[in-house]
Amino acid sequence: MKLTLTSVYRPHCFPTLLNSSSFISLCRPFCTSALSSVPTGVKPQVPLFLRPPIYSTKLCDLKKWHDWAKGLAFSVGSTFLHSDNGPDSSLLCRELKWLMEDAVVGHHSLGVKDDGRVEMRVDMEELYCLWRQRILERRPFQYVVGCEHWRDFVLSVQEGVLIPRPETELVVDFVSGVVSENEDLKKGAWADLGTGSGALAIGIGGVLASGGGRVIATDLSPVAVAVAAYNVQRYCLQDNIELREGSWFEPLKDMEGRLAGLVSNPPYIPSKDISGLQAEVGRHEPRVSLDGGIDGMDALLHLCDGAALMLKPGGFFAFETNGKQQCRALVDYMENNRSGSFCNLEIRADFAGIQRFVIGFHQ
Amino acid sequence: MSRILRKPLRTKGLSLFLHKLVGESHHIPASSSWFCLSHSLPHNPIPYFTSNSVPDAIHSSASLQFRFWASEAAATEPSTSDGLTVQGILAHNWTILDESDSDWKSHAAAVARSIDLIKRRLQWSKLKVRLDMLSAQVNREDLWDDPVRAGQISREHGSLLGKMKEVNALEQELLEHVDMIKLAREENDADLESESLKTLLNMRRNAKEKELEALLSGEHDSCSCYIEVQPGAGGTESMDWAAMVMQMYKSWAQRRGYKVTVIEEMPGEIAGIKRATIKVDGEFAFGYAKAEIGVHRLVRISPFDSSKRRHTSFAAVAVIPILGDGSTHVQINESDLRIERFRSSGSGGQHANTTDSAVRIIHIPTGITATCQNERSQHLNKASAMAVLQSRLDQLEIARQAQLNAQHTQSLTDITWGNQIRSYVLHPYRMVKDLRTNYEVSDPDSVLEGDLDGFILSYLSATLDKDDDA
Ligand SMILES: C[S@@+](CC[C@H](N)C(=O)[O-])C[C@H]1O[C@@H](n2cnc3c(N)ncnc32)[C@H](O)[C@@H]1O
Repeated sequence: MKLTLTSVYRPHCFPTLLNSSSFISLCRPFCTSALSSVPTGVKPQVPLFLRPPIYSTKLCDLKKWHDWAKGLAFSVGSTFLHSDNGPDSSLLCRELKWLMEDAVVGHHSLGVKDDGRVEMRVDMEELYCLWRQRILERRPFQYVVGCEHWRDFVLSVQEGVLIPRPETELVVDFVSGVVSENEDLKKGAWADLGTGSGALAIGIGGVLASGGGRVIATDLSPVAVAVAAYNVQRYCLQDNIELREGSWFEPLKDMEGRLAGLVSNPPYIPSKDISGLQAEVGRHEPRVSLDGGIDGMDALLHLCDGAALMLKPGGFFAFETNGKQQCRALVDYMENNRSGSFCNLEIRADFAGIQRFVIGFHQ
Repeated sequence: MSRILRKPLRTKGLSLFLHKLVGESHHIPASSSWFCLSHSLPHNPIPYFTSNSVPDAIHSSASLQFRFWASEAAATEPSTSDGLTVQGILAHNWTILDESDSDWKSHAAAVARSIDLIKRRLQWSKLKVRLDMLSAQVNREDLWDDPVRAGQISREHGSLLGKMKEVNALEQELLEHVDMIKLAREENDADLESESLKTLLNMRRNAKEKELEALLSGEHDSCSCYIEVQPGAGGTESMDWAAMVMQMYKSWAQRRGYKVTVIEEMPGEIAGIKRATIKVDGEFAFGYAKAEIGVHRLVRISPFDSSKRRHTSFAAVAVIPILGDGSTHVQINESDLRIERFRSSGSGGQHANTTDSAVRIIHIPTGITATCQNERSQHLNKASAMAVLQSRLDQLEIARQAQLNAQHTQSLTDITWGNQIRSYVLHPYRMVKDLRTNYEVSDPDSVLEGDLDGFILSYLSATLDKDDDA
């Protein structure tokens, strides 16, 4: 295949793309809360822990809720674990502790005021609703509290945006290792394609900030772009990170051959595996952020082609993949189909020992 | 309180001493500065002189005004005007009565004994040798060639010198008070005598507090620390006991006002824990907690035994100091580490949603590991586990280099199950007994709720007071 601009810039459409929004609205939480409206005209939601403490409740009522919530968590036992590798009771109990942390002001001392009331960021009714969603609907904990702790950031997340995974944290370490040895790359322009909540862009933006480098982050999903913008702003990185809406390289036409680095965690799950996913993932996270086509490689191969065109000589790239098989396939593809474009290709494992990343440099 | 009192009292005592020395001779060096103090007569102003002349009025011994020679002569072995030293007071073997008994000899003997104890706890003769060595190094020209080492040396030098000065001041003060009380009795001054008695009593209390402080004068005693607990053989019963022990330390630390963070907790299948680590933040956390290192034994009717038999279980406790920024840390090479996701299964990545990002770090050359799971991100769990690993490696290094008291540097893996330090019996009778000190308490519940200070202090004093080092 001859690499042409049109093939690289062609929006990468998934057959499932159109379904994704109706899919989200199907599992829309039915409680009347700030979290209930699925954003279409996109206004990012404020994570629970950042909301003003305008509610208050009697300590005994909070205790009652806590006992009820704990009971519900214990009733799960290891059924989720056995059915789809979901959370067990002990994990749910820890999440309950964190929910308290986020929802109750001064949860350590249970900031009880003189009148025996505690200040809260949600009202009791919604608190019941949230925990019911967590257990009965398997709504991801991160959507319940509206944030995910990732590296040393607390990133806002909401339905419609992939919750950043712990594995992906390592990509920032790769970048930080590479730029520590190469001033030139540190000063350059980087791209994070399919940025989702903005996690990678923010992590890398932080690494580059001191050297004057910047990041362009793209995503096809307007919700993702809005949430990423919110997160970028919260960490005051708007001067270093620019968000562009569009498909993969399409919004980057001006950067051809000029990128110092390129990172991406694109959708990589083979389509046939989507239906068997853990409920938290399959029922609640956007399919467009997970489904990588028949063998899960659609986006990865497309990104590979684009990297050859967009990176400047000596530019660095890092891609996250589904595991060993995809890593091998990607390296094969680069060596055989794009021979001469890349060098120093390496497969790196995540902390679970799974070969997860392909990294390397443009010739 | 005692701090405020001390200065004027010292001044008064010393001036009395000088008064006796120079006595009627009026032979006073022209260059000295003089204070004039008044304590018992509130209406008297407190004149302050730095002139070369001595006001006549202050020589009346009955007047409660004293002179003070500001340039203290370098003391040799301090003694009273009639040659009594602190050792001398001890040798008299004066009976020590209750604090409420107004007997000056009793107070003086009590203070002398405290001083003696403090010296032993500070390992006085070793301290002097070390201080001499450090003084020599501090005075070397090339000291600052190695700024890190220089910082350490001058820090330690300053701290030891401070300790030594404090004890010397205590001795001096005691002797001055003894002088003053003798004088008051000679002069038949009842007011001065009762005043002096009161100050001596204050000193007695103050010295008692200092005894306690001296218990925690080890190099790392002021550090924060990690406490780790691990059950012995015996399955659920032992794991439950380990959890009780961990709970006991959490409560103890909270009572003392320390901040407690759970770093790692591996629950047992049915109950209890397989292993747990907490971080205890605050001054002297390590100094106290190190007294708990060893094996703790429980005897009870096991709630996990359907035939209600009596069981004996064990739990091992290790305590690791967290060295401050000023100390040298062992250098860790990134390439010597293996970092693992803890308890992960399945394909991970986009397939999985989990809030569990526990991480285990293995230091390959030593085989030492550290785990953290309490943080909400993997990155922070890793950072926290790295901090634990750093402390473990530092501890190993301390043990290797200084060959500190072997007990205080044991890690969990070193602790042999024979090394029992305390026994907790809930059945057939109720008692907690420390096997090292024989200190015992008949209410196990209070101990398990964290009332450990009695055990800790008796152990610390037993270890420090036994070797005659004063
Ligand atoms: C697995 S998520 C990764 C999100 C984020 N980078 C992270 O690591 O948490 C994949 C992201 O790619 C985006 N995406 C899917 N198709 C895309 C396309 N054609 N162009 C740009 N982004 C796309 C999705 O919206 C989603 O945010």
